Amino acid sequence: MNDDAANTGNGEKVFNRNILIAVDESANARRAVAYVGQLLGGLAGFNVMLLHVVPEPEEDFFPSTEEKEKWLAHYSEKVDGMLADYRQLLIEKGFAPDAVSVRSTLRYCPSMAACILSERDETGYSTIVVGRQGLSRSEEFLFGSISSKIVSHARKCTIWVVE
Amino acid sequence: MASRWLGDSSASLDMEIHTDTTDFFRVEYGDVVVLRDTPYLVRQNAKEERFGVDEDVKYWVKRAIDLHSGDAKIIKLAFHEKFTSRIGDIAFECFRSPRKEARILDLVAGHGNFMQGFAVEDEKGNVVRVLDLIHGRPLSKYIEGLNVGHRTYFTEQFPGILEQFMACIRAIAFLHEHGEKHGDIRRDHIFIDREDHRYRWIDFDFNFRHRENIYAYDLFGLGNILLFLAGKGDVLLHDLRDQQSSLLDVLQEEDLNIVFHNRVANLKKIYSYIPESLNRVCMHFAKGANWYYESATQLHHDLEVFKNEWQT
Repeated sequence: MNDDAANTGNGEKVFNRNILIAVDESANARRAVAYVGQLLGGLAGFNVMLLHVVPEPEEDFFPSTEEKEKWLAHYSEKVDGMLADYRQLLIEKGFAPDAVSVRSTLRYCPSMAACILSERDETGYSTIVVGRQGLSRSEEFLFGSISSKIVSHARKCTIWVVE
Repeated sequence: MASRWLGDSSASLDMEIHTDTTDFFRVEYGDVVVLRDTPYLVRQNAKEERFGVDEDVKYWVKRAIDLHSGDAKIIKLAFHEKFTSRIGDIAFECFRSPRKEARILDLVAGHGNFMQGFAVEDEKGNVVRVLDLIHGRPLSKYIEGLNVGHRTYFTEQFPGILEQFMACIRAIAFLHEHGEKHGDIRRDHIFIDREDHRYRWIDFDFNFRHRENIYAYDLFGLGNILLFLAGKGDVLLHDLRDQQSSLLDVLQEEDLNIVFHNRVANLKKIYSYIPESLNRVCMHFAKGANWYYESATQLHHDLEVFKNEWQT
């Protein structure tokens, strides 16, 4: 953790201008990307990383290793396309191409929120942006909410939840 | 070896010996499955009763006899089934996971609140689970068979039942502490062992791609069982309507189960003598809940508080 908010001499925290947007294929993720584009596009000094965590399927979700590999290859291709699309969206909104990076990573995620926060800890970005999933109360109860958990568990960074 | 069990029936003449169980439909009554040098004589396919009506034949689950020891066993053959489950109006992707059940059997070996057994691969690498038969019946059947009114049940029997159920909650907490979920917590997935009267969890092969909270679905299952036990069955809106019950006037939307909207979670409105400390636990599973349990340990803790208050 080398780039977290530091303190100035007078005790005021200094935040970096690095923004991590956690995305998937959902409409709410696209809204989060568009929001950052509209808000910060054209302003110098901001860097954005588009992150997609691929949740590793449990060991026998697929009956054979071949099927798992096939699924992963297909999924990776899809994710690459999605990240390229979001990157292009940010560039169109005024971000310099070299200010927008993409990252996809395969991880075992008992909690997706914890995986996203762990990625943030490794990069030290000061801001995480996520889209609100819009879950019903029943869904949130049964499966949990990624954005709620990120908000309640995040440390050393600021969270934007885009409606 | 098998003739002792088959008698002189013609079945013994047609007996097939299986070392590859991939096609479990081919493994029939009177056949022998050989797993790591132990022969098991297949007696019948297992059946599962849902909601007291249809009995589904589970062709991949066989009742069998270990021909070395003579012990009755349940043999679960590998079945890689994927399906979409629905809870209320929510759909989610599920699959059967023989390896998950094998891992858990290993983890809970010797634990009194789980079915016991071991997993072994057949010659084709299929993960087969060999389970000890539990002599007893499901918790659901036991509760449904009680022929007393709710108040008598609640004061005389519920404390003992809750004690046993709390041991089951601790058992689920034990799974979670080891990174495993049960996956299919239901009232008929607790068997009451006739020999030692313990409550034992069965069937751990159900799995699903969890979203954020890996254990939330298990907690939902525990909550449903608690409501079932405290209410001596489900308190259903349509039953109250059929009875033209005046209780319908006092029930509000937030008193209903958060997922099954036809079930009452606020049991104190039905049975006023239910202590507040228990009803508070039940209300965590109601539509009106503003905070959910995040772990089985939290649920257990609150029930412990209720139990201690009630005993004094």
